[in-house]
Amino acid sequence: MEVIESGEGELFKAPDPDGFRAYVREHKARGLIDKVMTEKEAVAKFVADGDYLAYDLCWAIRGPNSLLREIIRQRKKNLGICGKFTYLGIAVLAGGECFNRVDFGYVGITVPYVEAIREGNIRISEWSNNALTMRLQAGAMGIPFLPVRYLGGADAFHYSGAKLVKDPFTAKSVVLLPALNPDVGLIHVHQADIYGNARVFGSLLSAHEVASASRKVIISSEEIIDHEEIRREPGRTTIPHFLVDAVVEAPFGSYPGEMPGLYTSDSAHLGEIAAASLKGMEPIKEYIQKYILDTESELDFLESKVGLGRLLELKGNANIKEGYR
Amino acid sequence: MTTATAFTQHEVAIIYLARMVEEDKSYWTPGGGRPGFALSLAQKLHAPNVMRMTEEGCISAQPYFPIEPFMYMGGARSNYRGVLWTSMNQICYYNTLGLVDYAILMVLEVDPYGNFNSSMIGGDYYHPQRRFGGAGGANEMASLAWRTLLVTDQDRRKFVKKCNFITSPGYLDGSPNARERAGMPAGTGPYRVVNSEAIFGYDEKTHYMKLLAISSWTTVAEVLSKMDFEPLIAEKVETLKPPTEEELTILRTEMDPEGRVVGAGEWILLE
Repeated sequence: MEVIESGEGELFKAPDPDGFRAYVREHKARGLIDKVMTEKEAVAKFVADGDYLAYDLCWAIRGPNSLLREIIRQRKKNLGICGKFTYLGIAVLAGGECFNRVDFGYVGITVPYVEAIREGNIRISEWSNNALTMRLQAGAMGIPFLPVRYLGGADAFHYSGAKLVKDPFTAKSVVLLPALNPDVGLIHVHQADIYGNARVFGSLLSAHEVASASRKVIISSEEIIDHEEIRREPGRTTIPHFLVDAVVEAPFGSYPGEMPGLYTSDSAHLGEIAAASLKGMEPIKEYIQKYILDTESELDFLESKVGLGRLLELKGNANIKEGYR
Repeated sequence: MTTATAFTQHEVAIIYLARMVEEDKSYWTPGGGRPGFALSLAQKLHAPNVMRMTEEGCISAQPYFPIEPFMYMGGARSNYRGVLWTSMNQICYYNTLGLVDYAILMVLEVDPYGNFNSSMIGGDYYHPQRRFGGAGGANEMASLAWRTLLVTDQDRRKFVKKCNFITSPGYLDGSPNARERAGMPAGTGPYRVVNSEAIFGYDEKTHYMKLLAISSWTTVAEVLSKMDFEPLIAEKVETLKPPTEEELTILRTEMDPEGRVVGAGEWILLE
């Protein structure tokens, strides 16, 4: 196959389908195993310094925010970030100085890390939201790459790790995206059983792709449901147990974001993060100290920093239930 | 229909776009901002069942306004009454199949061939003076939709000879088949650029930007003075009808009572 042009962007995770197969053979449990643990245990066990992280959310909706807070609490360092659709989440991680490389799809740009990019402390590669989810798709299919009909021609292509080739079937130009298999996938869901069979209601984003493509998968769930409920309606399972390493019961786990059908976002709190992140590193560090480092667990955070009254108010504000049960 | 006399630049752009929306066509847009608001306004005025997609995985929502900041894509209100909730990849497959007629996108900078920037300004890629969010879904939308509508302010810093960075492709260098050579489907590309002052199209042969219409309160010379390059000019430049009270009332009372989106931009006051 003729390569017409190659992007010069760094591949933070190069495709390695055989390596991933070998990992899956060894590490993905086929049996039904109780995987329930706390945020603290899951992050300590499955997130290592230097890991490449993919988390599934849309801006501030259905984000695994309790897990991201715990990553900051445990002061994880040098993570790589699959930056699709991540806005305030990455601002908070930036304040925690948790990562040193980002694949750009859409990333909320905040003062702290434009500086870090300029100084070379954060390495970047350029893609797009769908280029990243298609890379995850290839990773989820166990193949080295997938062809797409976008990204070519733009400077974004030049700073990506994609290739423009002559398609051997049609003789037309086509862009090849390399598979992406993150070290860690974090996904917040509406319901899961203790084994990791999980249900997402609403737009799916790339929940299944992230779960299939990632070596270590942590599910946080608003609710733990009985395994028999999964058996009764298998068509509603979004992510099956054998992809999952840990299940964390995380009511209000998407706070301050929305969990569709269950609670609305706390826009005042989101505004506080946005304002801090636009001001610079010190304000976002103050935010992190106050809300994350000064709390010792997610329960402590919800109790002492948010409060039952506010949580119930957000729950009450969720006036749309159709489709979420 | 009563012609209004006071409105913001964002309101005008949303209304011009909304008037262009056809119910039997399909649209791929961000959920919020001027593009998403234009579709929602069209749904309330003349195209209630228009087929619309947002990239997080929702098809044909009929959003429930008002919507909180940051919640325009994937939130329960923004995804209300859709016909399908699916994955980001499935949305893009439908687009690759050719199911999307129009993408509507915001841009930071646009050049004469409709190439646009949403990534960075100043310096070089690895040492940007200012860095922005990046492509998001704009690159795939601008590559795959049959026609792309771009939205930006009429400003010399927005209509530029050369973008600081081409995040998403227009007609590239304007040469025949440039998009196909770069891997995109044939027959696609920029179609209109819309803002509160003017509407531009593209010359079919040269793919160069062409001024088609201006607002009733401005002149061709004034529009050209707010551009870093001189576009082609249509033989007959149309004059656009100002917003009506009916259109503005929906935007201000039903959709955005706090004015977070529609209140942005300068006020335009007619005599």
